[in-house]
Amino acid sequence: MRKVLLILGFLAFFSRGYAQIDSLEANRLVTTANSIGVGGVNILDTYLSPLEYKGTEVRFMNEKMHLTKFFSGHVSAQRIFQANVSYSKNPTEDNSAFSGLVNWSYALHYQFKVNDHLKFLVGPAADMNLGFIYNLNNGNNPASAKLYANLSASGMAIYKFYLGNRLFTARYQANIPLVGLMFAPHYGESYYEIFTLGHNSHLVHFTTPYTQPSFRQMVSLDIPISRIKIRASYVFDMQQSHINSIKAHTWSNIFMIGFVKDLYVLKPSVHQRLSERLKAY
Amino acid sequence: MMPLINTSCVTEEEFSNSPSGNFEALWKIIDEKYCFLDYKHINWDSIHTVYAKSITPSMTNDGLFEVLGGMLANLKDGHVNLSSASNVARYWKWFEDYPENFDDSIQRKYLKTTYKIAGGVKYCILDDNIGYVYYSSFEDAVGEGNLDQILSNLAVCDGLIIDVRNNGGGTMTNATKLACRFTNAKILTGYIQHKTGTGHSDFSDPYPIYLDPSSNVRWQKKVCVLTNRRSYSATNDFVNSMSLLDNVTIVGDKTGGGSGLPFNSELPNGWTVRFSSSPILNVNKENIEWGIDPDVKVNITSSDYEKSIDTIIETARKILKK
Repeated sequence: MRKVLLILGFLAFFSRGYAQIDSLEANRLVTTANSIGVGGVNILDTYLSPLEYKGTEVRFMNEKMHLTKFFSGHVSAQRIFQANVSYSKNPTEDNSAFSGLVNWSYALHYQFKVNDHLKFLVGPAADMNLGFIYNLNNGNNPASAKLYANLSASGMAIYKFYLGNRLFTARYQANIPLVGLMFAPHYGESYYEIFTLGHNSHLVHFTTPYTQPSFRQMVSLDIPISRIKIRASYVFDMQQSHINSIKAHTWSNIFMIGFVKDLYVLKPSVHQRLSERLKAY
Repeated sequence: MMPLINTSCVTEEEFSNSPSGNFEALWKIIDEKYCFLDYKHINWDSIHTVYAKSITPSMTNDGLFEVLGGMLANLKDGHVNLSSASNVARYWKWFEDYPENFDDSIQRKYLKTTYKIAGGVKYCILDDNIGYVYYSSFEDAVGEGNLDQILSNLAVCDGLIIDVRNNGGGTMTNATKLACRFTNAKILTGYIQHKTGTGHSDFSDPYPIYLDPSSNVRWQKKVCVLTNRRSYSATNDFVNSMSLLDNVTIVGDKTGGGSGLPFNSELPNGWTVRFSSSPILNVNKENIEWGIDPDVKVNITSSDYEKSIDTIIETARKILKK
C-alpha cells in the first residue's frame, strides 16, 4: 500500500500524466536488510593460549545495496555493518573466553549481467574492524585487541528465479583481503609495556594474504512471503593472522535470518513537492 | 560447514591430551616464551631429554604433575607456576633457604593497636617520631588520596620507614604510584625488554622506564626501605626505583628478585602455567632477577627475636635519626 501511495505521489508530481516508473532513478532504489544469527565459533590466539577455544557466536548484520551513476549505472555500492559477540571454552572446558568484533565494509561492484536471472559482481571493498578476545584465566596477557583495516577483492553471484509468481533471489558473496594495516604487539610484548610505559612503536603492520589469509563468504536467499521479504543466510567468516609469530584465527559459522526492504530514496526537492498527507514527518 | 572457496588455515601445533602430549606442550611453551633460559644458562634441550624418560602413557595425573613441576623447578623462578585443580607447583627457594627477617607478631608491637589503615597500607608514628608504613602486598590498591593523607599525617616525623618485607609483589602500577611520591624529578629507573620471537635470544632492544614525580604530596625527608628475601616481583621493582633516590637507604636483606613480567598459558589438559616473559633491567641494563642488595645488610638477630625486637626496624630508626 505504501509503495502504491509513493508511486501515486510521483504521478501527482509529474504533470505529464503518464506512468513515470521508467524515469525513476535506479541509483535511488536501496535494498536494505537487517539480519541476526547464531552459530559456532572456533578461536585461536597464541598471544593468550595455544589451544583452540570453541563456543557460540551471536551476530547482527545490516546491509545496504544500491546502483550508482558510475559507468552508466553498471556499478553498485554495498555497505555492510556487522557486530558479533561470542563465548567459548578451551577443550577441557575449564577456562573461557569472551570475544567481540564490529566490522564496517564498503564495496563497489561492477555488474556483469548474463541474463535477466543471473549476474556477477566484482570489485574492491574496504573494511575496518575493531574487536577483542578476553581470556578469563590470564594475568598480564588477559586480552588481545583486534584493530585492522583492509582493501579486499569482492565478488558476488546473484541469481533470481520464480517459484510460482514469487521472485526469489539467491546470492553468494566472497571477500578476500589483499592489503591492509593491522595492530599487533610483538611476540612477547605486554600491553603494560605498550599502554602504561608508552612503548608504542612498530605496532601497526602492513598485511598481505600471507600474513592475513582471511576470507568472508555469505550465501543468502531472499524469500518473498506475502508483503514481506525474509532473508535466510549462512555466513562463513574466517578472520586469521600470523604476525610477529603470533597466530590467530576466528572461524565463524553463522546461520542468520532477517528482513529485506526495498526503499526509494527521494531527493529533497522531490520530497518537498509531495503531498503532506504522505508525510509522517 | 566447509567454505566454498578454501584458504590456508592459521593453526597452532596441537598436542594430545596425554602425559606425553602435555609434557611436550609445557616444554614448548617454556622453550619459546620463557625469557631467562640464556641468562640462567639453562640447557632446556637436555632437560627435555632427562624428564621425558619419566613420562609414561599410564602415569597418573598426580605423577605427571610431579614430573612437570620438577621440570619447571630447574628454572629457579618464583614467577613460574603450574596449576592444576588440586595443586600449584612452585619454586620458593628464593626465600625458603634464607632467614625470614620478618615476624608479624613482633611487628604488632611497633604498630600497636592504634595504627591507621589507608588502602592496602598500615601506618603509624613510632615513639621516636619516626613514621612507619607497612605495604604488605602490591596486589592491594592504594589511592592517590590515601597516599596524600598518609604522607600528610606523617609529615611531622623526622624520617619515614617504608616496610615492604614479605611483600610478594602484585601490580606494577601500585608500586610505581608509591615510588613517585619520593622523587622531585623524572628519573630513569631501568629498562624492559620483550621477546620478539621463539628463539632463546630473540629480544627487543631495552626500552627505558622512567619514574615521574607525583603531582600530589611528595616526601622530602629521609626514607629507609625495609626488605627481606620475600620482597619479590613488583616489590623488587619498587626497591629498584627507590634505591636510586638520594634520600633513601635500603635496609635489611637482599630482595628475592623476580624481575620477569609473567605471562600465562595452558596445557591440553587444562592445567595453566605462569612464566617470566619480559625481563626488567636496572639502570645499568643488568638483570635484577636474582634480587637487589640492600645498602645496609641487617638480619634480625636471634637474641632480638627472643626480646621481640625487630633489628631491621631498629637499624632504620638509627639511620633516620642521624
